[in-house]
Amino acid sequence: MTILASAPPAVRQYRHLTLLLALAAVVTVSLVRVFTDESRMTTPGTLRLALIAACPILLAGLGGLWAERAGVVNIGLEGQMLLGTWGAAFFAYHFGAWAGVLGALLMGALGGLLHAVATITFGVDHIISGVAINIAGLGAVGYLAQTFFTDLDGGGPRNLSGYAVPAQITIPGISDAALWVSDQRWFLVSDIAAAVAGVTTRLSLLTILAVALVALTAWVLWRTPFGLRLRSCGENPQAAETLGVNVYRYKYIAVLISGAFAGLGGAYLAMVASSSFTTGQTNGRGYIGLASMIFGNWNPTGVLASSLMFGYADGVSLLSDNGPLVHALLLLLSLILLGYAAVKYLGGERVTGIVVALIAVALLVWYLAVDSVPADFTGMTPYLLTLFVLAVASQRLRMPAASGKPYRRGQAG
Amino acid sequence: MHVELRGIEKRFPGVVANHDVDLTIRPGAVHALIGENGAGKSTLMKILYGVQAPDGGTIVVDGEERRFASPTDAIDIGIGMVFQHFMLADNLTVLENVVLGAEKLHGIGEKARSQVREICEAYGFDLDPDALVATLGVAARQRVEILKVLYRGATLIILDEPTAVLVPQEVQALFANLRDLVASGRSVLFISHKLDEVLEIADDITVMRRGTTVGTADPRTATKQELAELMVGAELPSPELGEDTVTDVPILTLSGIGLTSDTGRRLLDDVDLTVHRGEIVGIAGVEGNGQTELVEVIMGMRRATSGAITLAEEDITRLSTRKVRERGVGFIPEDRHRHGVVLDFPLWENRILGHQTTRRVTRGPLLNPGGARADAERIIADYDVRTPSVHTSARALSGGNQQKFIVGREMSGEPVLLLASHPTRGVDVGAQAAIWDHIRRARHDGLGVLLISADLDELIGLSDRLEVILRGRITAHFDPDHVTAQELGTAMTGGAA
Repeated sequence: MTILASAPPAVRQYRHLTLLLALAAVVTVSLVRVFTDESRMTTPGTLRLALIAACPILLAGLGGLWAERAGVVNIGLEGQMLLGTWGAAFFAYHFGAWAGVLGALLMGALGGLLHAVATITFGVDHIISGVAINIAGLGAVGYLAQTFFTDLDGGGPRNLSGYAVPAQITIPGISDAALWVSDQRWFLVSDIAAAVAGVTTRLSLLTILAVALVALTAWVLWRTPFGLRLRSCGENPQAAETLGVNVYRYKYIAVLISGAFAGLGGAYLAMVASSSFTTGQTNGRGYIGLASMIFGNWNPTGVLASSLMFGYADGVSLLSDNGPLVHALLLLLSLILLGYAAVKYLGGERVTGIVVALIAVALLVWYLAVDSVPADFTGMTPYLLTLFVLAVASQRLRMPAASGKPYRRGQAG
Repeated sequence: MHVELRGIEKRFPGVVANHDVDLTIRPGAVHALIGENGAGKSTLMKILYGVQAPDGGTIVVDGEERRFASPTDAIDIGIGMVFQHFMLADNLTVLENVVLGAEKLHGIGEKARSQVREICEAYGFDLDPDALVATLGVAARQRVEILKVLYRGATLIILDEPTAVLVPQEVQALFANLRDLVASGRSVLFISHKLDEVLEIADDITVMRRGTTVGTADPRTATKQELAELMVGAELPSPELGEDTVTDVPILTLSGIGLTSDTGRRLLDDVDLTVHRGEIVGIAGVEGNGQTELVEVIMGMRRATSGAITLAEEDITRLSTRKVRERGVGFIPEDRHRHGVVLDFPLWENRILGHQTTRRVTRGPLLNPGGARADAERIIADYDVRTPSVHTSARALSGGNQQKFIVGREMSGEPVLLLASHPTRGVDVGAQAAIWDHIRRARHDGLGVLLISADLDELIGLSDRLEVILRGRITAHFDPDHVTAQELGTAMTGGAA
């Protein structure tokens, strides 16, 4: 395998930007944390919760990325995740933790296969097929759970518990030290220490696998001939065909992998995020995964960053008595948007800049006017954030050129 | 490589695209395949490149009969093709586009990059392997396509209408490249309908008409006239103007028109332009230099950021497209599938589009199907649109007939100005002559005509006045009676004029 000596320019530029943004974000978060005295914003517990909430979204997003890079829109991620939750529970209950993970991969891939047959072989519209898979997945999982789990020990018609899950690891020295530092609530240092503690304490092996898949995806898609061919199917399948690439084959492989990743996301939900299975466990995370793929600009590291953001919002919504915390986050969001507005305005896009600034000011007014955000609202945080982020960011994003378009062999030229 | 095609036949539902095609390509020579649009050249090339399988006939390469199931088979024995519509992925780099499908040769890394650099040097291609294709111009993209073929070590290179998108200087550069290729022992199959170019570059010529090869010619002795007659089976029409009808009554005046994009780029910059009654003003320019934007600003599809547009003494700068059309502006759009017709509507419904407020085809808020059908019948008769009926969907018509129908519709309702953007793009010679006639008739009837085209012969032949647009500015004026395509090309690319 030949490794490129230097990364393509697009990737290089992206890294540079990501680093700067990450640094600015950490400083801002730390400032807001100190200012609002809302220490739960960056405790190791919150961040650990955020990481656990982020992983299913990350896996769904990576799955979506695989499919779209090969030109297939996989909106059926939600359904494939659902199949994954059942597969994980069933196989883990009978054969052990890692058999459960494998089962989830297989069930997800099965959903992917369905999507592939419909869209690639029969040319069904990608959105219609995906929605059908989501509905069918929900029905199938309900039926499968009722049939196979009702009579089990720890099971019921809609749930199952008491199966093995992948082990958790804690890195002894680092974890304790980081926990201590984060307890001191120092500016910046403690916040970073909290993040370190979050990823070194009771870390599931599945989490490590999920993050490793980000690197693996990036390497396979951008550094191997296989990845080049797969991406060419998403950019210009006719061109790929004239160069002897079997477009159908690559699209099938991509959608199968996509489904398997989504299934793994389902396994994560049923094994790490909670230790039991219930029907309908995904609760829209497949769609949020799709959003994280778009916001991540169809790029593995971008998907990682955006799913961490969505995961944080999701994690916060799960905390008890989180009204004051969400209230503090309003200030954070307002500041971030003000920065974004300034960048836009100075970059020449004045209208966008002004609109975003107005939204930021509205949030700031809201922050100043109340002391806490009602509990009904805090549960909506991840979904509202999704809508919001996509509305603001969608102008700069660029999807694979032929994504979602029908392809038929023999039409080149 | 010695290639022989014998008795090739290819049928599609309802049409015979190729039949009894015979073609022999010698090694070390440029072989030109000429014919009108729709003569079956592109189908033949796809068969030779393995994109489509023939229904009959044989392909013999170096004495051995071959069957190509896919382009891979053709590539394996050394056939490479440069498509008319480039087969490049915009979001991939030059290197990625080149190595795609040929990763086994030199991988996708450093070795491949140096190989690409080597070929670029050998043939004088100025290409950066790591540039995104999206950032390249048309001529550079074509070089990437040729690079792709060379990288695979092709010994027969098929070029489908390679000069259609190039200005004269770029054509010369391409021809120099082709001569180098032939000198190194490769064969080139050059598909074109531009006879001057064919006579200049070809060593052998084969002519196609209506799906079959009708003859061969020797470029040293053949004349343009003979080739043209072989191609169309009749004499070649040429764009020429009759008597002088130009008046000094301005019908359209643009003063200081500027247009800035959302990102602050100047798309149009201080454009002054006047079209008089009975006058055809031609706009020459390399595509993407503001022609599209100019048309859109006049039609009210985009609003100019500065300046004023006057139509028959009325300020139309801020009018909507519908109001502009109601004032009597006929518009032949550059992309008829995007702007001209709705492909899945029948002709009579397409007749109404753009005239939704005109009495003849509508009745208050309701449509007037009877009136629209009758008027569509009139257009079909007057403009020689070949269609079974007014109920046929626009999609079923050939490009030339679609275009004739659009011209007929735009000339309805007594317009005072005709905006013709690439009016004969992608139409056959017969329809081209008819459309030229209609534009001449519009001029004779006292309309002002603004003609935008990439076909320099058309511009020079039809226009009373020529303006050159470069990077959104009008940079030169020419009298079409005293200008050559070469001079125009120089001005279009910003060379010393």
